[in-house]
Amino acid sequence: MRIRDDKYTPLFQAAAYLFITAAALACLFPFLLILSASFTQNESIIRSGYHLLPLDFSLEGYKTVFRFPEQVLKAYGVTIFTTVTGTALGLFLMTMAGYVLQRKDFKYRNVFSFYIYFTTLFGGGLVPWYIMMTKYLQLTDTYTALIFPGLMTPFLIILMKTFIRSAVPEELFESAKIDGAGDFTIYSRIVLQLSMPGIATVGLFLALHYWNDWFGSSLFINDQSKYQLQFYLYNIVNAMQFIAQMGAGTGVSLGQDMPTESTKMAMAIIVTGPILFLYPFVQRYFVKGLTVGAVKG
Amino acid sequence: MAQKKKLGFTVLSAALAVSALAGCSGGTDNAGKPAGTGGAKEASAPASGSGGTGSGLDTSKKVELQFYMLGDAPKDLPVIQAEINKLAEKDLNATVKFNYTSWTDWDQKYKLLLSSGQQVDLIFTADWTQYQSYAKKGAFQPLDELLPKAAPKLNGFVPKDMWEAVKIDGKIYTVPATYKEYVTNGFVYREDLRAKYNLPKPTSIETYEAYLDGIKKNEPDMLPLASTSNPVSSLSDPFRELTRDPVGGPLPYGIGIKYSQPGEAYSYWGSPEHLEELQTMKRWMDKGFFPKNVLNNKDTLTDQLTSGKAASIFGDNPTRFNDSVIKIASTHPDWKLEYYPFPLSRGFATPVHPIHNGFAIPKSSKNAERALAFYEKLVTDKQYNLLTQYGIEGKNYTVENGYYKMVGDKNSNGFGREAMNGWAWRNPEYMLFDKGYDNVKKIFSELDKIQKPDIFTGFAEDYTSYQAEKAALEQVTKQYLYPLQAGLLPDVETGLKTFLEKAKQAGLDKVQGEYKKQWAQYVKDKGIK
Repeated sequence: MRIRDDKYTPLFQAAAYLFITAAALACLFPFLLILSASFTQNESIIRSGYHLLPLDFSLEGYKTVFRFPEQVLKAYGVTIFTTVTGTALGLFLMTMAGYVLQRKDFKYRNVFSFYIYFTTLFGGGLVPWYIMMTKYLQLTDTYTALIFPGLMTPFLIILMKTFIRSAVPEELFESAKIDGAGDFTIYSRIVLQLSMPGIATVGLFLALHYWNDWFGSSLFINDQSKYQLQFYLYNIVNAMQFIAQMGAGTGVSLGQDMPTESTKMAMAIIVTGPILFLYPFVQRYFVKGLTVGAVKG
Repeated sequence: MAQKKKLGFTVLSAALAVSALAGCSGGTDNAGKPAGTGGAKEASAPASGSGGTGSGLDTSKKVELQFYMLGDAPKDLPVIQAEINKLAEKDLNATVKFNYTSWTDWDQKYKLLLSSGQQVDLIFTADWTQYQSYAKKGAFQPLDELLPKAAPKLNGFVPKDMWEAVKIDGKIYTVPATYKEYVTNGFVYREDLRAKYNLPKPTSIETYEAYLDGIKKNEPDMLPLASTSNPVSSLSDPFRELTRDPVGGPLPYGIGIKYSQPGEAYSYWGSPEHLEELQTMKRWMDKGFFPKNVLNNKDTLTDQLTSGKAASIFGDNPTRFNDSVIKIASTHPDWKLEYYPFPLSRGFATPVHPIHNGFAIPKSSKNAERALAFYEKLVTDKQYNLLTQYGIEGKNYTVENGYYKMVGDKNSNGFGREAMNGWAWRNPEYMLFDKGYDNVKKIFSELDKIQKPDIFTGFAEDYTSYQAEKAALEQVTKQYLYPLQAGLLPDVETGLKTFLEKAKQAGLDKVQGEYKKQWAQYVKDKGIK
């Protein structure tokens, strides 16, 4: 039965829609500013600030970023590669871990749970990590150095574990077993099928982590052709700022034009663009996956 | 059960606290190792080697040297590296790999490189990369015994007083650059506007203020002077450099030391001099020389000048001034920039200290001798030097009437002038300059006439004992001193009093006391009067 609308409902709905529309537009506003600034001449930004429509239209920002197109494209390639490989591998490992950890008949459940949980509280710190990666694992200048550290993220494992526990009833395991299914069959045919929202959520987290990662490049990559996109662009901005700053203190000649403001904005557009397209596809799982998974246990 | 749970919680939180503390100190542990006996073995070898190059050098085993530089690698680096390796393999049976830290987080990376024990054979050093403090902590190998043996030519090439000047605790840890430059400040102003409105040439605070007044009156849309969100570096430092006779570079923690009386360090913050400076800034603010939102200003000084937003910079160095001139020449040929160096008013100029540019051999290097021999080649061998500074002649650059000329433009040329950031191995005998650099040379030669040595930069501050106070003080400075410095507070005297109070609470006395003590020790050791 439909609840009868009283006469205030349409009014309320109109007001609500208006409000939501205004809020949505307000969210678009900064993005539009960035977009407009990325097409504005740098000098004009310095002189008269940001405007919603470019005062002096110019492509110099994009030109600077794409001064060496092969490098930007290479960085794009690296980021896409690490994101895809890292997410796929990470999802596989974390769903496996999550599944095993929630099985009550797993003997070392508590030991492993504690081991994973422990690392969310304690870390060795930056220097031991760096020494481990460079001296013992010898991962400097390899893609492994970029992918490896994200593969087993404790928080995501816990999220996965809780999700599987709530999404797959325990009786299902028993009945599957009676029907003759082995552990791996249960994992691939039942658990994976039922935890799609959780997998989508964790997958998105992972993908975002890999897409936004720059710290890995900063620490372990010396070879410029292996920079991730984020770091590559971040480094351009930093180099400009630093050279400008250092010029004051050391007298090192800059000798080049640096359209900083417009370049920064152009970069923001270039970097955020692709990942924006990922959201619509996983968004419908997102609310469910996150709310269920966020209940700690 | 409940009790057990509680206990567990206590243990956990205690452990958490410990881990948090451990995290804080994690970064500095390894660098604290005392200077070992790296050079002791070589001491027994005779320090002859005055004959040919590297007479005492053992080159039987082939090595790859790891060379670490700041910044980003130029596009054509692999080509240059291959060329250099061809030469180095023949001369020294060694190859070299040029690594770059990138400008992002380079100081953290520096710390990691030097503390992780990774193989690094040569690394760039400068006062601004904390050469002094790394050397003090034993991150580098002492070169005193190594130099005459592995790099006799280099040993003789660098003047004796420079070797003396870079010594930390009596030992040489870096090979200084021998090219002499000045990074002193000076007024940069729009000569075309000055002439148009018949304003005085800025040579002192008074004439500069008159110039600013004139700009404000005649060009109401223009900012008379460029300012940034850091009023200490953009206003206070040049003000002090021009009027307070300080030693060397900007001094931290409100310390004041006069060049004429280096033995007496005093507290500049709170002194009548400081009050006068703040009142001047207040007056400038009231006159509208800089905008009210100055503390949020993110544009660089040069950007504001070259875009025509501002009419002058209160303090910039000759090289950067020249860059602005070149930039304006192409975008606004009708404008004209002039420069007046502060040293002309002060009566003397100090060239940059030898510590400012150099290369050190880290503790972790196993090929110290070969590294030094290779570095000698970079500096003294014309072929190595030109190749690493300017690229391949004919392909990257040509020489015209003795001037450097780039082939193509910045986008098509993969190796521009000094693209490797090799400022440290510039050799004045081989250096090539752009035609546009003549301006700077002219200023430098003017300053040469009145030069005096920089006595400050050899000083290595050790802030381990007051690290916490230092951090607190930085916070207080930003919160209470910056607005004062930018003239934003209506009552300067009360504002200064509040700031000093807060600074005292943050531990100003301890910081200044320690600093003064260390300075006094330095002055005594160096015999400066």
